[in-house]
Amino acid sequence: MSPSDKPSGHSALSPLSVARAAIARGGNLGVELEAYVQFGRTVTVKIFGREVESVTTAEPRGLGVRALRDRRVGYAFSADVSLAAIDRVLAEAVDNARATDPDPFVGLPGAPAGSYPRLEGLWRQGVSGTKLEEKVRVALEAEAAALAVRDIETVEESTYTDSDARVAIASTNGVEAEARQSFCFVYVLAHAGRDGDRQSGLGFSVSREPAGLDAEAAGREAAEKAGALLGAGPCPTGSYCVVFDRDVVAALLSSIVPALSADAVQKGRSVFAGRLGDGVASPLVTLVDDGLALDGLATNPFDGEGVPQQATPLVEGGVLRGYLHNTYTARKEGGEAASTGNAARHSYRALPAVGANNLVLRAGEGALDELFHRVEQGLYVESVAGIHSGVNPVSGEISLGVTGRLIEGGALGRPVREVTIASEFISLLGSVTDLAGDARWIPLYGSAYAPSLAVQGIAVSGT
Amino acid sequence: MDDSAFPGLTPELGTTVLSTALRKGGDMAELFVEERHSLSLRLEDGKIEDAVSGTDRGGSVRLIQGLSTVFGYVDAVDEVSLRALAGELSRSRTGKPVAVRSLAARPARSLQPSGHDPTTVDAAAKARLLRLADETARALSPEVRQVAAVYGESRQRVWIAGSHGSLATDDRTRVMMAVTVMAQRDGLVQTGRETLAHHGGFELFDRSAVTDLAAAAAKKALAMLDSRPAPAGRMPVVLANGFGGVLFHEACGHGLEADFILKKSSVWEGKKGQRVADDHVFAYDDGVALGMWGSAGCDDEGTPCERTTLIEAGVLTGYLTDRLRGGHLGLPLTGNGRRQDYRHLPYPRMTNTYFGTGGHTRDEIIADTPRALYAKTLSGGEVNPATGDFVFGVAEGYLIEKGRVTVPVRGATLIGNGLEVLRGLDAIADDLEVKAGTCGKNGQSVPVGSGQPTLRIRELTVGGTSL
Repeated sequence: MSPSDKPSGHSALSPLSVARAAIARGGNLGVELEAYVQFGRTVTVKIFGREVESVTTAEPRGLGVRALRDRRVGYAFSADVSLAAIDRVLAEAVDNARATDPDPFVGLPGAPAGSYPRLEGLWRQGVSGTKLEEKVRVALEAEAAALAVRDIETVEESTYTDSDARVAIASTNGVEAEARQSFCFVYVLAHAGRDGDRQSGLGFSVSREPAGLDAEAAGREAAEKAGALLGAGPCPTGSYCVVFDRDVVAALLSSIVPALSADAVQKGRSVFAGRLGDGVASPLVTLVDDGLALDGLATNPFDGEGVPQQATPLVEGGVLRGYLHNTYTARKEGGEAASTGNAARHSYRALPAVGANNLVLRAGEGALDELFHRVEQGLYVESVAGIHSGVNPVSGEISLGVTGRLIEGGALGRPVREVTIASEFISLLGSVTDLAGDARWIPLYGSAYAPSLAVQGIAVSGT
Repeated sequence: MDDSAFPGLTPELGTTVLSTALRKGGDMAELFVEERHSLSLRLEDGKIEDAVSGTDRGGSVRLIQGLSTVFGYVDAVDEVSLRALAGELSRSRTGKPVAVRSLAARPARSLQPSGHDPTTVDAAAKARLLRLADETARALSPEVRQVAAVYGESRQRVWIAGSHGSLATDDRTRVMMAVTVMAQRDGLVQTGRETLAHHGGFELFDRSAVTDLAAAAAKKALAMLDSRPAPAGRMPVVLANGFGGVLFHEACGHGLEADFILKKSSVWEGKKGQRVADDHVFAYDDGVALGMWGSAGCDDEGTPCERTTLIEAGVLTGYLTDRLRGGHLGLPLTGNGRRQDYRHLPYPRMTNTYFGTGGHTRDEIIADTPRALYAKTLSGGEVNPATGDFVFGVAEGYLIEKGRVTVPVRGATLIGNGLEVLRGLDAIADDLEVKAGTCGKNGQSVPVGSGQPTLRIRELTVGGTSL
C-alpha cells in the first residue's frame, strides 16, 4: 500500500482563516453572521477474507453560514471554500432568511465571558502520523482475532476508520474559536454458525490514536458475542426482569435523551415536559451530559455555535434536574436559563440543533456476573434491533427486537431468538433496580459512558 | 443556477484522470463527478423555522484490482485536483500502465417527468404550502397539538467515466414534503407521519395534494388516540399496501444485494433458482418507473437502471448487482450500484422494490381473516441479512376480528425471518402502491421506493405490551 494519507494542497488555509474571511466579506450585508468551517482528514480501511477490500482517504472540508436579519434565520453551505464560493454562500444565506418567519428568540451567542475550557489530549498526532500499512494491520488483526474463535463462519466486516478534524467558528457577535480533535476505531461484525443456525456479533475498540486500539479484543468480542447466541430457542412471553448490556443501555439512552432537549420540551414533544424537580427515574439513576469528559468523543471546548461545553446534570438520584439548551432554546425559556453548550451540529451542512454531547450514566458496583447473580431470574439483552423505528421520541413508547440469553438461578442460561420487548421511557427509567460497575465508553449511538443495568417488569413477547 | 455551474465532464478530462489512475496498473478505474444543489424549508410550531440551501460539488476516483479498491474524493471538479487525486491513488499499485478505452458518451436518458423546475418557484410559495399543511392538520381537531412539516428539493447531476470505455450522465431532480402530526388526549400522545415525494418537479404539490397529505398524517395520529396496547404473541398479520413494502425491502431485498451474496453473509446466497414462496408471489426492483422516488436514468456507476424480476412465481430469479460484485459473481449488471454522493463508494442498493399484485381485493382478504393484526403503516425496520431476522415498528395498527377491522392498537413490533415470512404469504391483493423512503446502509442514505399490495402473512410474532 502507498502512504497515501499524507496531506496534499491548500495547507496554508486554516478553518479559522476561512471563517474570518466569511465574516469579513459579509461585513457590508447589514446582517448578523456566523460562519462554521470544518477541515478534516479521514482514512477508512475495510478488510475481508484477510485481504484489503477498500481503502478510502479523503480531506473533507466545508463552510456553513447562518445569517440573521429582522429575527429571521437563513442558512447556506458549500463544500467549496474559495472566496467566490464564500460570497455565494453569504448571498444564499441572506436570501434564505427571507423565507423564514420572524422569531423574537432567534439570536447568535456572543463571545464567552471567560476563556474556553482547556482540554488536553483531544488531538493526538498518531492518527495522521501513523502509516497506512499500520492501519491496515490493525484491521487485519481484528479480523484474525475473530476468525480464530470457534464456530466463526465469516467476518463480514473488519473496519478501521479515523478522523483528524478541525472546526472553527467566527461571528459578527465576536465569537472566534478553533479546535482540533482526533479519534480512530476498529469495528468488527462476525457471524457464527453451527447446525444450520447462524448468529451475529459486534465488537469495537476506540481511541484518540491507533496505538491506543485493542484490535484483538474487538475481534474476539464480536466473535464471542456471535457464538454465545448459537442454538437460540424460543422465549416464553411474560413480564421479566431484564438486564440490558451496557452497549444496549447506550442505545436506549441515545433514544431517550432527545426528549430531554429543551426544543422538544418547549414544543410539547416530550414526556419530560413540566417535570423539572419531579422523580422521573429510579433513585439509582444519575445521568449527566458531560461535554468535557476527556475520553468522550463529543468532547470539545465549544459547541456548534461557539458556546463553551460543560457538564450538565439531567437526572440526579431519579429527579429531573435539567434540559439541554442551545442559545435559542435558552432565550425562549427566559429567566435564568442559559445555553448548556448543547448546540449540536452534525456537519457544516446543518444548522445547530439541540443535542447531547457525552451521556454519562453513573455506574453501580461489581462485574456483570455479579449483577446476574443478584437478579437471579430474567433475560439478559445483548443487542437490540429497530432502535430507529421502534422508539417514538414523542410518546416515549419503546418496542424493539432483541437477542440475548435467559438468566436462570443467578447465571446465564440458554440463548433466545425472535423476542421483542416493549416499554415506555419513564416506566423504564423508573424500574431500574440495579446497575453493574462495568461502564465503558461506547461510540456507536452518539457518545455515551454506560454500565449494564437491570429493569423490573419489562413486557417480553416470544413464542 | 449560478454562473459557476460545472459545465460537465468531457471525454478528454475523463480519459486524462483515468489514465493517471491506471498509470501503475489496475483492473478498472472510475471517475464520478457530481454537482448537487439542495434546498429545504422546515415548519414547526406554526412558523417557518429554517431555510437551508447548499451546493455539493466534487469528484471521486476509485481504482480496483481484483476485489480490492482504493478510493478518494476531492471537494472540487477541476482537472488539477482530480488528476492529483488519481495520481495519489495510483501509488498503491506497482505494475505497468493500463490503457483507458475511448470513452463513448451514452446519450442521457431522463427518468423524470418533464415537469416544473422547483428552482424557478419562489421560496415564499414553498413556505405557503408548509403553512397550508399546518393549518389543514390543526383544523381537523383541537387534539392536534403540534405539526412539523418539511419541504425538500434537490437537483443532482452526475457524470461517470469508467476505464472500460463508458461515459454516462444523469440529471436527477427530486422533491419531497413530509408532515408529522402530534395529537394528545389526556396523558396519551400519538404521532402520525406522511410523505409525498417523487423523482420529478414541483408539479407534485398542488393545494389538494398538500391538504390530503396533512390530513392523512393528522388522521393517523388522531386514530391512534383511541388505541389500546397491542397484543403480544404469534398471530396472522395483514400488511396494508404502500408502507407495508418495507417488509420486502428489509426481509428480502437487502439479502439479495450482491455484496452480501459475495461475502456469503446473506441467507439468500445459493438460493437463486429455488422456490422461496408460493406460486402467486412476484417481486421486483424497478429503477425505471417514471417519477418514482428511487428511479434514475443510470445508477452511480453509469449502468442504465432497469426493472429486475427478483421473484417469479415463487422462484428466486435474481440478485441486485453493482459492477464489482456482479462482475466477480458472474451475474448480469442490474443498475443497482448506488451511492449517497461523491464522498462514498458505490454498493449494491435497491431502487424501488415491490411485490407484484395478486388476485384478491383488500376487502376480501380482511373479510377472510378471523383474527389478525392489521399493520396499516410501518415505521421502518431493520434486518440482519446474515440471519434474515428482521424487525419492524408498526406506526398505525388495528385488530382484525371476525373479518372486520376493529380497534386501533399501539406499540406493536413485528419480528420474524425473511425466508419464513415469504413462505407464509398466503393472500395478495390487487392494490399495489409504492411509497418514498430513505434506505441506510454502510453509513450511506439513498432514496428508495418500497411498496406492495395488501397481503396476509399466515403467522408472525407480534411484540406488544398486552401480554
